[in-house]
Amino acid sequence: MDDSASQLKKFQKELSSGTVSLVLLAVLGQSRQPMYGYQIAKRLEETGEGVLAGKQSALYPVLRNLEAAGLLASEIEPSISGPPRRYYRITKPGRETLRAWVAAWTATRDSVDNVLQGGV
Amino acid sequence: MNAPRTINEYLDQLRGALRGADPALIQDALYDAEEHLRAELAEQPGRDEATMLEHVVGSYGAPDEVAEIYRDQEIRIQRAIRPPAPAKHRSLAGRFFGVAADPRTYGALFYMLLSLATGIFYFTWAVTGLSLSVGLSVLIIGLPFIVLFFGSVRVLSLVEGRIVEAMLGMRMPRRPVYPTQGMTLMRRIGSMFTDVHTWTTLCYMWLMLPLGIAYFTVAVTLLSMSVAFIGAPLVMLFRREWLAGVYVDRQVLVDWGFGSHQAGWGDAVALCVLGIVLLFATLHLARALGRMHGHIAKHMLVPREAV
Repeated sequence: MDDSASQLKKFQKELSSGTVSLVLLAVLGQSRQPMYGYQIAKRLEETGEGVLAGKQSALYPVLRNLEAAGLLASEIEPSISGPPRRYYRITKPGRETLRAWVAAWTATRDSVDNVLQGGV
Repeated sequence: MNAPRTINEYLDQLRGALRGADPALIQDALYDAEEHLRAELAEQPGRDEATMLEHVVGSYGAPDEVAEIYRDQEIRIQRAIRPPAPAKHRSLAGRFFGVAADPRTYGALFYMLLSLATGIFYFTWAVTGLSLSVGLSVLIIGLPFIVLFFGSVRVLSLVEGRIVEAMLGMRMPRRPVYPTQGMTLMRRIGSMFTDVHTWTTLCYMWLMLPLGIAYFTVAVTLLSMSVAFIGAPLVMLFRREWLAGVYVDRQVLVDWGFGSHQAGWGDAVALCVLGIVLLFATLHLARALGRMHGHIAKHMLVPREAV
């Protein structure tokens, strides 16, 4: 029992390690305005828990990596209600990457679904 | 570990959980956590910190969970930002000449040349700022000036960190130290002066002038010497008489330690070989100096509160 739980946790971690980047890029790609980390975390919370099994703290390093890779751009803005926030928005290369990633994701999902439904 | 009741407690626990990790990583992790927690607190002003934190431990993660996530991420980042390690050469010659294939060498070399400019700038900034701060402190504009100056020092510390990471490959913070909340303005200003980090940064800025001059001089001297040596056969080939004209008695005498003789082809080739060896030795020196400077920067620019 305990063993299968830890196996599940490990599997979820491996799954999310690839998909978190895709999901973040997609969220920022759909958003009209730049968003900050907390806002993105809340948005993902609304869509359901399956998307990211991990904790929200995993988002920040990924955001930073995407920014370092030039897929996102960010700026700090002061806010009235709280501390200054770092707003992220998607860049042009980011959009192109997102398109490619979505295609790769769709292909993977379809083939995985096929296998799971015994369609091989 | 008991549940944190205030944001500062949470951050302390996170700091404790990250003990022993890279200080640059700790600074980034603390910054992210604090940004998230303060945003959460600002979202629902009615709630007190303890209830908010209870909720956050579920969504953002407990301090030790967060620490684990950041450690994991860091391994992956390191793999991604590092250029692939050049193939290890076994032979002595391979190790000696292999330095030319290491991208870090050229980063270090460029940093050495750049450090003259940045060194002069940092030194001027630090010395001017400090003396103006002291001089103006008797006037009413003294205080804002001092605060502005110390703020600029923090920004420059971050900028230099980015340069060092890009060129010397030393992991440096990507986010500044989070401004401390919940203190009066005067206490906050006071903490700028009592913070050791501010003073080590100023020391670093001061130190960069002599270091920058030394790096620049060493790089330019050794590089131009190597290139001049390597070019010796070209001079023999095209401009022999011009070379002789440099000397008063129109004779180029060479002495390798066995008595002097007229410079000939043998000497030119020997000089060329010497130049090639010197060039690669220079590359080795640049890489080693780069590594050393990376450590200096890390010790002086990254706060060691977690260590």
